[in-house]
Amino acid sequence: MKHNRRLWLSLFPLYSVFLGLALSGIMMLFLGQNPLVVYKELVIFAFRDIYNIADIFAKATPLILTGLAFGFAFRSTLFNIGAQGQFYIGCLAAVSCSLFFQVLPLPILLLICCVASMLAGGLWGSFVGYAKARFNANEFLLSMMSTYVAVAIMNYLIRGPLIETKGEYPQTDVIVENAWIPQLIPHTRLHWGFILALLVAFFAYFILWKTTLGFKIRAVGMNRDGARYAGINEKKVFVTVFFISGAFAGLAGFMEVNGIQHMLVQGFNPFIGAEGIGIAILGNAHPLGIVLSALLFGALKVGGNLVVQTSPIPSSIIGIMEGFVMLSVIVSYFIRERIIVASEKKRLREEERREESQ
Amino acid sequence: MPIKETDLAVELIGITKYFPGTIANHDVYLKIKKGEVVALLGENGAGKSTLMKILYGMYQPDSGSIKVNGKDVKIRSPQDAMALGIGMIHQHFTLVPVHTVVENVLLGAGAEDKGRASVSEAVKEIERMGKAYDLEVDPFAFVRQLAVGMQQRVEILKALYRGAQTLIMDEPTAVLTPQNTERLFSFIRDFREAGHSVIFITHKLNEVLDIADRIVVLRSGNVVGELLRSEASERELAQMMVGREVADLSSEVKAQEKDVHKKESILRVENIKVKGDRGHWAVDSLSMNIDGGEIFGIAGVSGNGQEELAEALCGLRAVSEGQIILRDNSLVGKSVHDLIHEGIGYIPADRHREGLVLDMSVEENLILKRFSSSEFASRGVLSEKNIQLYAQKIIEDYAIKTPSSVTKAKALSGGNQQKIVIARELGIASSLLVAVQPTRGLDLGAADYVHRALLNVRNEGQAVLLISTELSEVLTLSDRIGVMYRGRILKVFRREEADIEEIGLLMVGVTHDET
Repeated sequence: MKHNRRLWLSLFPLYSVFLGLALSGIMMLFLGQNPLVVYKELVIFAFRDIYNIADIFAKATPLILTGLAFGFAFRSTLFNIGAQGQFYIGCLAAVSCSLFFQVLPLPILLLICCVASMLAGGLWGSFVGYAKARFNANEFLLSMMSTYVAVAIMNYLIRGPLIETKGEYPQTDVIVENAWIPQLIPHTRLHWGFILALLVAFFAYFILWKTTLGFKIRAVGMNRDGARYAGINEKKVFVTVFFISGAFAGLAGFMEVNGIQHMLVQGFNPFIGAEGIGIAILGNAHPLGIVLSALLFGALKVGGNLVVQTSPIPSSIIGIMEGFVMLSVIVSYFIRERIIVASEKKRLREEERREESQ
Repeated sequence: MPIKETDLAVELIGITKYFPGTIANHDVYLKIKKGEVVALLGENGAGKSTLMKILYGMYQPDSGSIKVNGKDVKIRSPQDAMALGIGMIHQHFTLVPVHTVVENVLLGAGAEDKGRASVSEAVKEIERMGKAYDLEVDPFAFVRQLAVGMQQRVEILKALYRGAQTLIMDEPTAVLTPQNTERLFSFIRDFREAGHSVIFITHKLNEVLDIADRIVVLRSGNVVGELLRSEASERELAQMMVGREVADLSSEVKAQEKDVHKKESILRVENIKVKGDRGHWAVDSLSMNIDGGEIFGIAGVSGNGQEELAEALCGLRAVSEGQIILRDNSLVGKSVHDLIHEGIGYIPADRHREGLVLDMSVEENLILKRFSSSEFASRGVLSEKNIQLYAQKIIEDYAIKTPSSVTKAKALSGGNQQKIVIARELGIASSLLVAVQPTRGLDLGAADYVHRALLNVRNEGQAVLLISTELSEVLTLSDRIGVMYRGRILKVFRREEADIEEIGLLMVGVTHDET
């Protein structure tokens, strides 16, 4: 009985996903559409053929990483709002290496791009951690502002040194095929980066719960004073966490540049950082939850895009669906907490009654 | 002496409040008459503040009701409480430092409803109240420029401006100098003369006997006693408050005394100076020695530098001048981490904030200070098996009551939480154990357990520094007692020559030469 209750409570986010979809359905009614039909088509489109199914995973790949970028830092109660900027810096590193080292053979070139994007994103992020450790700067604001700086750097590089040979549009040349991440399923957009993203999610889980570093990160996250009293150097933790978080977001840049776009276009994917925050919250900042939420968002994107193209529904409905799902999940965490507190109170009351009757 | 309904300012009827893991108040009845000062006395964690926050509308009770001036009321927010003439002076002030006194007084007083705040009227009112109650403050001074005692005045004026007839004061003297305390008390007497009531929360016995008409003692969320001042004695109150005869350990300690022969010097503190949070010298040229097999107790009124001293010994606070030497090693400038490896255990005063990570499991808390040692990790990876085996053993050895070793620490009772801290620190304290208020908020059994654990450490030959504001605890456990006042140790007594009266006087700064 008690076990069932636990299970029931732990599935709370799942119910709220459906609640969020139901609320979006009401919005569709206002738009004069039958939500049941829309959802049926969405599912049919998303799973119509192998190309679309593979696309769900392809869309989820960078979202897993930006989700981890927020979620990992969140475990230390640090707010990394700057995944967007770290992502762009990673993109720039990846595309620069791809163009510069294009004569190298495929495995070496990919490895260089991959490591460079993580280092670049990580270092970019660790500035925020350093400023917090050294000057007690507010990491929320600082990481958010650092995105604007990253955008400015990207704009400069893409309009200047990195601009395509034709010099017409603010974008780079297409990178050589040696720098393309190999496809996982032929003739789809799904590439091996997805597997790498899963490994990274596992890596994040392993770091957090199986290593001494993760112990420090969680201790600092759950009680900063307690960690200090236990001899944990919180400042080192700030820098390390922001480096790792930034590296995750930077790696997402590598995946998008070398896996999907094969070039860098100015200002592309401008919401990937914000969506990562939502996905991390939806997944309760747990790597497994983040992977599942990223897949859900991937499916909504793929199915939603096709529904929008084939029916009179405005494309903003996808954003509305994502928003409602996130909102209802966040609210559900509070409700769940209340239920747990209420049942705890009830237990205490019963215990007391039992003691009194003895 | 029956109390008439109409004489009552406030009545709490059967208030019960649960928090996850604890019962903060249990079926509490409390009557406050008009023109009466009632002291709520109890140890930290006894439920005094919670009860008053319920009266002030900050918490909702889980059962029970409240009457104000004989009428049933529901107090859902501090605004409701103020409308009923109840004001509260919080321990931590709720002023806006960059605003002036008059702005602070007006803030939230309903003036903004009228569209514009009438500053001149408020200034007149502040001046009038200041004269009436001898609480004069410059209305245009910025709060951040005022000393702590003045800031408290502003808090009081704020409450009075809102028409408070019943004032709740949460440990108002904790931040005050003796002179300011005296002025506060004279205000309380004036306020009572005007037919108003004061509820005074404290754990200081001398204050209670000084100011209160009636004393209500709370322990573990229950009312355990109610006395008129004329009937109350310090000893009786102390006993009610702590719930146990205060001298019951003495005979045992004496019996054990002969067993300890080891007397090597372990800790030497030489003329150290340590800054407090407000930048003053919290520890001021303090020296002391502790030998192995000895408990050195520090008696003193809370806030005389005891916590800063403990933090300096454990590397949490920088030592500006002087030396700390542990077995020939200087400790000054070393980190918390280094000092853990030097064998210094630390039982901090606030186990929830400083001693534990409540959201971590019991086993994680048990290894909180040693998780990176070779026993529990290799190459940065935690060894779950070793951690679990170790935790199982500790849970058994220390009889920690927990459903499992992976249960979160916050689900345990206070006594069992403290056992986690003690088990962990005893494992570290191969040289010195620093214990600050180690029995705060614990019930009889748990407190006894802690006392025995401290004695065991001493009997094994380690040095123990016991810091407590409970004089009885220091007196029964310590081999030597130092009295701390304003950052210095005024005098050190051997237990057998300790004179309670002299210690009591020293605690408030009265040395023999002056008397």
